[in-house]
Amino acid sequence: MNPNYIISPADRVLVTGSNGFIGAKVVGILLEYGFSNVRCFVRPSSRMDRLKQILEASPAGQGAEIVRGDLLSREDCRRAAEGVSVIYHLAAGMEKSFAGAFMNSALATRNLLEAFQAHGRVARFVNVSSFAVYSNLKLKRGALLDESCPLEDAPQARYDAYCFGKLKQEEIVRQYRDQHGLPSVILRPGAVFGPGKPALSGRVGIDTFGFFIHLGGGNQLPLTYVDNCAEAIVLAGLQPGVDGEVFNVVDDERLTSAEFLRAYKRVKPFFSVRVPYFLAYGLSCLWEDFSRWRDGQLPPAFNRRRAAAEWKGNRYSNQKLHDRLGWKPRVNLSGAMTAFLAQYRRGAI
Amino acid sequence: MAIIGCGKIADQHVLASRRVASCQIVGLCDREVLMARQLGERFGITACFGDAGEMLRAARPDVVHITTPPQGHFALAKQCLEAGSHVYLEKPFTVTAPEAGELIHLADGRGLKITAGHNLQFTPEMLRMRRLVGENFLGGKPVHLESHFSYDLGDASYVGPLLGNKDHWVRQLPGQLLHNILSHGLAKLSPFLDDDLAELHASAHQSEQLRRLGGEEILDELRVLIRDGAGTTAFFCFSTQLKPGLNRLRVCGPANSLTVDHASGTLVRHENRSYKSYLTFLAPPLNEAGQQLRNACGNFISFVNGRLHQDAGMKELIERFYESIRSQSPPPIPYREILLTARMMDEIFAQIYPDRKAGRAAAAPNGAVRPAAALPQP
Repeated sequence: MNPNYIISPADRVLVTGSNGFIGAKVVGILLEYGFSNVRCFVRPSSRMDRLKQILEASPAGQGAEIVRGDLLSREDCRRAAEGVSVIYHLAAGMEKSFAGAFMNSALATRNLLEAFQAHGRVARFVNVSSFAVYSNLKLKRGALLDESCPLEDAPQARYDAYCFGKLKQEEIVRQYRDQHGLPSVILRPGAVFGPGKPALSGRVGIDTFGFFIHLGGGNQLPLTYVDNCAEAIVLAGLQPGVDGEVFNVVDDERLTSAEFLRAYKRVKPFFSVRVPYFLAYGLSCLWEDFSRWRDGQLPPAFNRRRAAAEWKGNRYSNQKLHDRLGWKPRVNLSGAMTAFLAQYRRGAI
Repeated sequence: MAIIGCGKIADQHVLASRRVASCQIVGLCDREVLMARQLGERFGITACFGDAGEMLRAARPDVVHITTPPQGHFALAKQCLEAGSHVYLEKPFTVTAPEAGELIHLADGRGLKITAGHNLQFTPEMLRMRRLVGENFLGGKPVHLESHFSYDLGDASYVGPLLGNKDHWVRQLPGQLLHNILSHGLAKLSPFLDDDLAELHASAHQSEQLRRLGGEEILDELRVLIRDGAGTTAFFCFSTQLKPGLNRLRVCGPANSLTVDHASGTLVRHENRSYKSYLTFLAPPLNEAGQQLRNACGNFISFVNGRLHQDAGMKELIERFYESIRSQSPPPIPYREILLTARMMDEIFAQIYPDRKAGRAAAAPNGAVRPAAALPQP
């Protein structure tokens, strides 16, 4: 293990959302790095299928501790954070309502930070956020979207509860850093893909109206393969000198939306209609204006901000990830696509 | 008005209230003040509080909408009434019928009004049905009622957190999952039933889907048979498994019948006509097709006119409640109906969860539900 890491292999590490798509991989990589005191926090209702598989695959997995609980309970957060040096906070509720998204993202994070500060052996809090927090409304098509880009300032107008929850979560992490001196790092993964997550990213298109509308066109997708993303998250909790930093997580090699969809349709054929961005944006403007004019009779599910964020198309950089975290993708694009598409070939989905 | 409880349903109250003329939101309150602030931030409301007493003193609202989990309804409503505010309580009105009775007594004694969030009774199709019933379309007191109410377990955002977590507030209710959902479907029966229910038989089981999800002791399939003292019978079905989902009320009268479908916003009249020979296979379906076509056209026109809204029932109920306060007229939902719904719920949960602590205050040993004590009528 790298001796420069901010904690030693015997230090206790907590992973929330550890049975999740990314969380289970984070646990696997921590065990692989030699951490022997990994505490896995899971929901009481979690079936543990992913995590069990990871723990059984590693001899060190037997020593992992499993804590079941609800992050909205302060007592459960105390049990989770007791004696912990680094927290990898990946738990996220996919909530449709703004209040629910706020509760599961921001309130849960506040409880965890509070417990970490009071009962942990604080070295670092790693908060896993999302690309959804960015606003590219004022960026040109194809412009570089990096960590310095503006954040969404009107998530309600974007009608994006997930974006709202993540923005508020980041706000609380920054507040604890600034007001309580709690060291933290924020990661914003792009479109995470891999086996175990069969759904196509909304950046490729939507099937809201009964058939698939391909809206991403020739846009570059901010893809990151789940193993690569998980390793970036792990490194963010270990590398020295990155407290207070924000990292976008995207892989080195990226496909366009059309390329990704073509590869997907080779193993899972279906009908799709391509709609160019100018048309998607125009229709979204009409929808948004109609919604406003009719006082919300039609919810503003399609609007300028969402259209831009998902289908405008930008370029992405992972330079900071390479430079500051020493991250390198462990799976190349070809291997990632093979593993991703194999889940459909196996006929399981 | 002010809102106590800034969770998921509070958004709907804010949106509906903003469409009600002369309504202004003067305060938001949640025990977790960050919840109040997130709601306030999104809707431009700055008066956010973490304590109900402080909010009542500072904002002095005319009406308070209480949208907390049901366990908090009784104490908060009592506090608001004692502070002089009228109260709109989200469903279920209270955890038990005795609590409901006490709140109504308190409101009445103070010259204040209180209502339950049974907004499905005020959707456009329900209002059309009520008008027809008022015009004696049924030809007398209903003979039989059928209410179906379904809920899709597929929405894991609601059911997920309570599974495996015995401390979840839904799990703490006497009727658990059913307690928090079924009052909409049950409340639709109350206007047509007498207070003295002669029989109520409830049967419930757990669906295979919920068992696979780890539902433990939670029941999600409920059937109830009811007969009132005057002989009107009712069947209530709550299901998480019916597909497509059913949210329907059928009212059968001695002359004609009516079917209201909330899912499609339609009303169908079933008139007692006889047809010669094979016309019996042609005329009724064509008649129904014509009615459904008129329903579709009517809904389209209502959409264009801006009358068809996803929360039309809530807006209508709020407007009628506020108007009853202004004009000192009877509240939109008679207290008798609120209490009857609460008593039926108590009895159902006592029968299907016999070992759980429930408010079976009005239950008689033979399955009959005793009438409530004399209650103030509006």
